[in-house]
Amino acid sequence: MQKIWLIIKREYLTRVRKKTFIISTLLFPILYIALVFGMGYIAEKSRQNLHVAIIDSSGYFTEDVLNKQNSIDKSSNLTYIKDSVARVIADHKAAGYDGYILIPAINWQSGKTDSLLFKADKSYGSSSTAVVEAKLNRIWDEIKNEKLGIDAEKRKILTESRISLSSRNIKDETANAKTAEGIAFACGILIYMILLIYGSQVMMGVMEEKTNRIAEVIVSSVKPFQMMLGKILGIGLVALTQFFLWIAFVLIVYNVGKATGGGGMANAMVGNMQQMFSSVNVPLILFCFGFYFLAGFFFYASLYGAIGSAVNEDMREAQSLSFPITMLVIISIALMSTAIANPTSPVAVWASIIPFSSPIVMMARIPFGVPNTVPWWQLGLSMALLILGFIFTVWFAGKIYRTGILMYGKKPSWKEMLKWAFRKN
Amino acid sequence: MCSLLPASFNWPNFSSQSKRIGKFVPQIKTMPLLELQNLKKYFATQKAVDDISLTVEKGQIFGLLGPNGAGKTTLIRMITGIFYPDEGQIIFDGKKFDPTNDVAHIGYMPEERGLYKKMKIGEQTLYLAQLKGLSKNDALKKIKQWFIRFEMESWWNKKVEDLSKGMSQKLQFVTTVLHDPKLIILDEPFSGLDPVNSNLIKDEIFNLAKNGATIIFSTHRMEQVEEICDHIVLVNKGNKILDGTVKEIKQEFKENLFSIGTEQIPTMNGNAPFEIVGTKNESQIVRIKEGNKPNDVLQYLLQQGTAIHSFNEILPSLNDIFIKLVEGTPAARQFLQKESFGQKV
Repeated sequence: MQKIWLIIKREYLTRVRKKTFIISTLLFPILYIALVFGMGYIAEKSRQNLHVAIIDSSGYFTEDVLNKQNSIDKSSNLTYIKDSVARVIADHKAAGYDGYILIPAINWQSGKTDSLLFKADKSYGSSSTAVVEAKLNRIWDEIKNEKLGIDAEKRKILTESRISLSSRNIKDETANAKTAEGIAFACGILIYMILLIYGSQVMMGVMEEKTNRIAEVIVSSVKPFQMMLGKILGIGLVALTQFFLWIAFVLIVYNVGKATGGGGMANAMVGNMQQMFSSVNVPLILFCFGFYFLAGFFFYASLYGAIGSAVNEDMREAQSLSFPITMLVIISIALMSTAIANPTSPVAVWASIIPFSSPIVMMARIPFGVPNTVPWWQLGLSMALLILGFIFTVWFAGKIYRTGILMYGKKPSWKEMLKWAFRKN
Repeated sequence: MCSLLPASFNWPNFSSQSKRIGKFVPQIKTMPLLELQNLKKYFATQKAVDDISLTVEKGQIFGLLGPNGAGKTTLIRMITGIFYPDEGQIIFDGKKFDPTNDVAHIGYMPEERGLYKKMKIGEQTLYLAQLKGLSKNDALKKIKQWFIRFEMESWWNKKVEDLSKGMSQKLQFVTTVLHDPKLIILDEPFSGLDPVNSNLIKDEIFNLAKNGATIIFSTHRMEQVEEICDHIVLVNKGNKILDGTVKEIKQEFKENLFSIGTEQIPTMNGNAPFEIVGTKNESQIVRIKEGNKPNDVLQYLLQQGTAIHSFNEILPSLNDIFIKLVEGTPAARQFLQKESFGQKV
């Protein structure tokens, strides 16, 4: 035990003291925020303002109507083409337009959708054409309303009087599907990232010891199994440290925001979080997150460690051998989106119980409510199976590790590694 | 056996070949430190160690020789507790070898040296010493002594990647012996060292042996073996093919060759107790005929009135013996058969 402790300490301290750890811990929340806001900004920016030529045969889309709309909505200018129709169709670029729309003699009474085409010399995304489409529909609506004799008041009744439906859990009044979805998604993605990032750190760490040839020196002092376990626990602690620092970061932002009552964005964040905290069982989620994070990490890190011990310094070898394991993590993420869309479907239930996918999928179901969405027996079974699962993978990996760490030369296949695992001694 | 001397009394090695000095005191061995009994370790494709038994006495410098792939490393890994033997057992210091506790008394320097490249030297040495079971304070004290001894005090905050190859070898040696192991296993300790550092390590090896440590020295560099080892074992293809002191082995493989320096080439007649097989540096290389002794040669020469200024026995070098045995010459094969036959009876 003393020796494992020494190994854990070394693995932990050498990593936590590294500049890359400090920088990545600080940078991640900043990058995350930048990404969220940046994406919105880029999406806004990347929408193109089109200059569209309208060639109308219906008689409804007149120059006056179009100009009126253009003055209301400045994005994407629609120009009515009177005389130079042939010239625009022949070469819209030379005429100064990004493209043109031929409006046939459409009938406002048809009661069906008329599909028009925006013809241009290159392809435009739907976000660009959507603006034009919305503009055309506004004009079309106005025309229809006028023909039907619907005034502004009637129109308001038509458009605004609606029924909205959302689901409410009668056993758990505080449950809020929208918030749950958000939390579920965040938890799932976080566990996914931790498994992949720290799992591969374990693999790299083992590979480093093997290529440095220090492995043989160490295993003459401690058992290979202790060496592997020490590494996994040490790196797990690093992940945990990073995670707690991020939580601390969120809490600081929350409290500072609340105390100062500062700017609009901070207020919005505080408001969102207050709403979030009140609608879900925060202690339970935190506890489960801690559990699935650690157990899932042991499950995958030991497998990654086994692979690190089996390969030589070649990164490509490691990648090809770890592909099946990375695949399991990626499949879990795919199952997670199913679980979020429908947390009680059989796929979601089973995926959250079977050990390889349970860390991600169960974490995506828990925010929807325990015990109503996730009955206690499912949570208990999932946890028990995951514990059995990681005990098995750690044992299995230990067997491979013991042989692999001192084996140099050809990359072994999965078949050979299985042989190592089930060989006596 | 009732004799005045214990059965395992080992006469000092006064071999003329030996350049060693300072170890003339005959050592009385009370108990072997390490005994391997019929060890076997088979891997899927090969018999890495196939029934090897040997005994290492306390305070001995024991040479474990063999060509690449002979099974030396596998044997060492079993002694260091890294591998479990498939069959046979290991007796360490009088008791059945218990890897969990006994590894604290073993220092092992593998042939492929390994240290954490990015870790500071002081921290790293401390870490490795603590893994061997030293307390932090003891470890620090010992590190200080060794660092002063090897003039490494200024290295504490350096990283291994900043050291030259020779320097990291020295560091590796220190980490191997720091915890005062009873058994030190050195696999090719001199590879990559310049003569100055080689001598430093060599002196240290003698020093450690003098202070009671037992050393297993694995190599395929024969000149070092002759210089350093008390006792050698030669393994090949998983089998032990030679076991004895350097002197014994040389005696066993000698070919009755002598080098005689004379004024003129001796005249030979039918009674001559020897035959000349060659000349080297103005000396005659002669082989004594069966049934004759070196004195007969001298007598014959004196009778002839030949002026003699040197008369030396030519013993085969270990290198010759090694190559002969390992390459499987007919003589070696015969020897092997004799040996394995003898073992099975």
